[in-house]
Amino acid sequence: MNFLSGTHVPRRTFLRGMGATVALPFLDAMVPAGRMAGGDAVSSDPTRLVAIELVHGAAGCNEWGATQNLWDPAEVGRSFDLTPSALSPLEPWRDYLTIVSNTDVRMAEAFEAHEIGGDHFRSSAVFLTQSHPKQTRGSDVYVGTSLDQIHAQRFGQDTPIPSMQLCIEPVDQSGGCAYGYSCVYTDTISWASPTEPLPMIRDPRTVFDLLFGAGGTPEARARRRRTNSSILDWITGEVAHLKRELGANDTERLERYLDNVREIERRIQGVEARNESGDVRALPGAPAGVPDSFEEHMRLMFDLQALAFASDMTRVFSFKTGRDASGRVYPASGTDRPFHPASHHGGREEAILDFHKINRYHVSMLPYFLERLQSLDEGGTDLLEKTLIVFGSPMADGNLHNHRRCPFVLLGRGNGALEGNVHLKAPDGTPMANVMLTLLHNLGVDDLDSFGDSTGEFSLTVPSSMTSAG
Amino acid sequence: MTAMKVAVSTLVMTGLVLLVADGGTSVPWIPPDDRIADTQDTEPLTAWPVTAGDDKEIVDEYCVRCHSDRRLRGNLSLEGFDPDHPEADWATAEKMVVKLRAGMMPPPGVRRPAGDTLVQLVESLERRLDAAAARTPRPGGRTFQRLNRAEYAASVEELLGIEIDGAAFLPPDTKSDNFDNIADVQMLSPTLLDAYLNAAAEISRLAVGDPEATPSETTYTVSGYASQSERVEGAPVGTRGGISVVHNFPADGEYVFSVSFHHTTTGAGFAGQLARGQRLEVSIDGERVALMEVDSWLSYDDPWEIWMWTDPVTIQAGPHRVTAAFLKTSEGPPDDLLSPHDWSIADRHTGMAGYGLTLLPHLRDLVIEGPERVMGVSEHPLRKRIFTCRPTSPADEIPCARSILSELAEAAYRRPVTPRDMDGLMGFYRDGAAEGGFEMGIRTALQAILASPHFIFRFERPAAAADAGSESPAGPESRSRFLAVGAAGSDAPLVYPISDHALASRLSYFLWATPPDDELRRLADSGRLGQPAVLEEQVHRMLADPRSEALGTRFAAQWLRLQDLEKVHPDSYWFPDFHQQLGDAMRRETELFFTELVRRDGSVFDLYDADYTYLNERLAEHYGIEGVVGDDFRRVRYPDDRRRGLLGHGSIMTLTSHADRTSPELRGKWVMEVLMGTPPPPPPPGVPDLEETEAASEGRTLTTRERMEQHRANPTCNSCHRFIDPIGLALDGFDVTGRWRIREHGNPLDTRGELYDGTPIDSPAALVDALLRRPEPLLRTFTQNLMAYALGRRVEHYDQPTVREIVRQAASEDYRMSAFIRGVVTSDAFRMQQVDVTMPQDRTP
Repeated sequence: MNFLSGTHVPRRTFLRGMGATVALPFLDAMVPAGRMAGGDAVSSDPTRLVAIELVHGAAGCNEWGATQNLWDPAEVGRSFDLTPSALSPLEPWRDYLTIVSNTDVRMAEAFEAHEIGGDHFRSSAVFLTQSHPKQTRGSDVYVGTSLDQIHAQRFGQDTPIPSMQLCIEPVDQSGGCAYGYSCVYTDTISWASPTEPLPMIRDPRTVFDLLFGAGGTPEARARRRRTNSSILDWITGEVAHLKRELGANDTERLERYLDNVREIERRIQGVEARNESGDVRALPGAPAGVPDSFEEHMRLMFDLQALAFASDMTRVFSFKTGRDASGRVYPASGTDRPFHPASHHGGREEAILDFHKINRYHVSMLPYFLERLQSLDEGGTDLLEKTLIVFGSPMADGNLHNHRRCPFVLLGRGNGALEGNVHLKAPDGTPMANVMLTLLHNLGVDDLDSFGDSTGEFSLTVPSSMTSAG
Repeated sequence: MTAMKVAVSTLVMTGLVLLVADGGTSVPWIPPDDRIADTQDTEPLTAWPVTAGDDKEIVDEYCVRCHSDRRLRGNLSLEGFDPDHPEADWATAEKMVVKLRAGMMPPPGVRRPAGDTLVQLVESLERRLDAAAARTPRPGGRTFQRLNRAEYAASVEELLGIEIDGAAFLPPDTKSDNFDNIADVQMLSPTLLDAYLNAAAEISRLAVGDPEATPSETTYTVSGYASQSERVEGAPVGTRGGISVVHNFPADGEYVFSVSFHHTTTGAGFAGQLARGQRLEVSIDGERVALMEVDSWLSYDDPWEIWMWTDPVTIQAGPHRVTAAFLKTSEGPPDDLLSPHDWSIADRHTGMAGYGLTLLPHLRDLVIEGPERVMGVSEHPLRKRIFTCRPTSPADEIPCARSILSELAEAAYRRPVTPRDMDGLMGFYRDGAAEGGFEMGIRTALQAILASPHFIFRFERPAAAADAGSESPAGPESRSRFLAVGAAGSDAPLVYPISDHALASRLSYFLWATPPDDELRRLADSGRLGQPAVLEEQVHRMLADPRSEALGTRFAAQWLRLQDLEKVHPDSYWFPDFHQQLGDAMRRETELFFTELVRRDGSVFDLYDADYTYLNERLAEHYGIEGVVGDDFRRVRYPDDRRRGLLGHGSIMTLTSHADRTSPELRGKWVMEVLMGTPPPPPPPGVPDLEETEAASEGRTLTTRERMEQHRANPTCNSCHRFIDPIGLALDGFDVTGRWRIREHGNPLDTRGELYDGTPIDSPAALVDALLRRPEPLLRTFTQNLMAYALGRRVEHYDQPTVREIVRQAASEDYRMSAFIRGVVTSDAFRMQQVDVTMPQDRTP
């Protein structure tokens, strides 16, 4: 790893910074000085968005689990008690926590007889689109444009990379998708359009290279960018030529490829422009690869998201923390039952509590990220203030595969859109899409009339009655 | 082109002839065409023809009772189905054929017609469908494929001789129908394009060498499940565990090797205080460059965590084998209080188990960092391969570059290079050369070749379009020519033969998973590859070539789901002998079994009932077979009939198990889905899984069978599980790791059951015999998978006549492997392309 100064810092220092404990203030060392100083751009800074998906729902969304408040707390308003909830690891962060309970993801339900039972292979596609996926194994996939992409298409264009998609579990396992649903519905939560699923990246190293480019030094990276630019130019010419020789289907596919070429060209130009503006980029070496442990992997991914925000490489992330029907075991959660079997707890109290342990463990990953974002100061405001984190599951009771009263919370202040420290309970039958529509409006996409199966807005401002109660 | 025209019109003609035969006359008429004559040979005349109308009665009486508009069992109504014109609802008809051939319908317990009525029904359906297919040839089509991870790595190796790991460069491939090469799910995205660009930049630097290389690091990871007591492949003799890889060094310079170790959840390294004096050797091409004593107090809580690293080592550019492994200082199992086992991380929670259990340090990562102090780039084999000429004067440079690049481009693009291609590449050469001289010019152009759509996409032009390198006649003119062929076939879809170069690529990626070699390219250049005799000769040659191993490692591995082996980590408490290397050996066994079957051109039936397999010492010991010594695999005859064919392979038994118990459901499902082509529907929601049943009763641990029977008491479950479970139970004599057993948790096993057709089965051999009584589903499923992989698209209902035809042909050749492969290669589906890829679902001819 070569910092711009030329000092060779052993990789372990970096790993340590990326890993469990904070031994070095490494993020400071990596944040370009220009950005830290520049406070002028802050006012026009769009909200950073992170959308995190949980699969399999939560123990607290089971009938009995709800009576025990294993997810949603009993009290609405400000003075809610998180003690029994899987959200309890967020207690120290409750000022940044907005719980929205009692919303439904009905687009994940079966519409037709042949869709019954396919919930696991459809849900992830619904989470951020709130649309009903077309049942197909072929390429004619269709669902909706996802929340993160609507934001990225509007506000992500100023950064070199409009948005990034991350995941934790491998996607190439057979048997992971069934019921006539294409695997992409299970593999990704981000959709650039109803027909364009975006692949998610699992390897932190790949994320790093995409964010900062390959090459040991800024000069080497610049040289590679130049060569790539001329290769992309040439490819554009070749494709135009090829189109004359190939059939209609192939031409259509080439058209899509050309869009990608233009997209990469735009990114390169973005980076170039940024470099010319005098930004100095001193970056450490890349992380080694996919760590063994879930926790280590999650933390690395959170580090990279914080790093990307700090250097303003991108402002939008979607992050899939699991894969439907995954049998992963989380030893540190306190139970050895595999994830998917644990979600099919059969309604037995003891088994529900086992599943609950996994939910709580997953939530316990978040404070690390919140801490990271809070430690990043930008013009006197920390990034947690400017970030909106959406965290939820398109499934509610994993045992029954139902999608009513799903787990859903918001974190961060979203540039003033959220006050934090509140539990809002939606009226029965409220689509989760209503909350997402309001979020999109708050994010600045104010010309959107509806989103997914939304029936209206859902106010996230805290009623005065609650304020006084708290 | 002319030859193909004839072929198409012959098909149409035979179709018409058959239409007459099919359309009313009850006198069998034998058409002169070979295809039909073969049908006659293999099918008994007595079964043909069935008088129109009979079939309808049978369907109404025996099928429509459940498959009615009202009851809609299996989401299927046959009320409007006309068995005299099954092609009107082709997809449904093919579903019926599958179920009837498997003998699964009507289901057990439901009234069936007497005698061979059902056989006659299915034969009549097939005949009518095949005839309809002959009338309207439909080779199917797809958009162009892109090189997936495996093909990309193989193509780069074939082109440059450099070994790379595709997974290090490209995102994972989306699978469809279990294969990773299905064109229509190979989505394109900026991320993917970026990955290809980055790969081109890296690989061109590694191949040519990079005198300006800056330090970077590459990590190789050892699985926590790998044994540290056995030598790994490629490592020097006298070592144990660790890792051995071929690493490509970009320049001469100093490199540092760092290693880390697996640690317990509390942070302690696995060396423990108990295994002192362990030494780790780093070697380059077998020669020691560093020896490190493993600090037995290593802990994640230390400032350097659990890392150790060497001093800088000077290494020359090029590929070198790097090994980091422990010195083996003792032989045989350690004398422990607990039984010795191979997997050195027994339990991650309590890794520091204490006395009585030998824990060996377990390597986790090998990281190669460098180069520092770059001293240039020495000659190495990869460079020699690229630089086939060296300019001796400035005037030589351009001609030499031109010669190097045209050769590379021709191999990379899998077709002759055009002047246009060369103009583009020479442009890159000049840019690079201007910046850093001749070598950088070549490297830059190579980077462009590797990033170009001509390399990463497999475009398939129509025959006579762009072959022989002339691209001027490629355009509208030739397209109108093949369209005309389609139009001649009345309502037949528009089809055209693909070019010889496209055919060469299809062949080589199918049989070798590599780009075409010189011979294939030469034959394509001369336009002869499409000739039936030449094509068959090439198939013969290619199957004899070692590269046909890819049929085992790529096709069979995916068909049989061998990748799922990675998902199952047998519980170390119950199965202490299982570790990564044993799992690898199992995978190797199955791949080798298939590869050798292809090479020997054995019968496809060997897949199901072979009395032999391929084993090395470790695996033979696992199976309890004596007399196999050494690491090399060799053919071994099974001493008894416990194991037969694939269903005796440890790989299949392990990948269909849970970590701590066997799963008759998974095994039954695997047999039904992978071998028989009749996958059971997934369970409905709200059904508790087997884990919900009590694991113990009356003070003893229940067997898997007992727990299953509790589970099956539920009638909803039973409607499918009575198909699935008996199959899996017959295989329950194999434990989670595929080892033979007669007891489970101390209780005697009971593997008895009835196959869905009532045949009693209680052992793998009995199951195989029962399955082989109905060979069609097995043979057709195999053929269908082979076809999907070969074509890069899912096999659809309109392909089934081709599948049946291939199986019929193979019957006349003793079901030899080559007959199936040749059948696929010579099929219209393989040699032709349909213009309209998205055909309406069911067309009435």
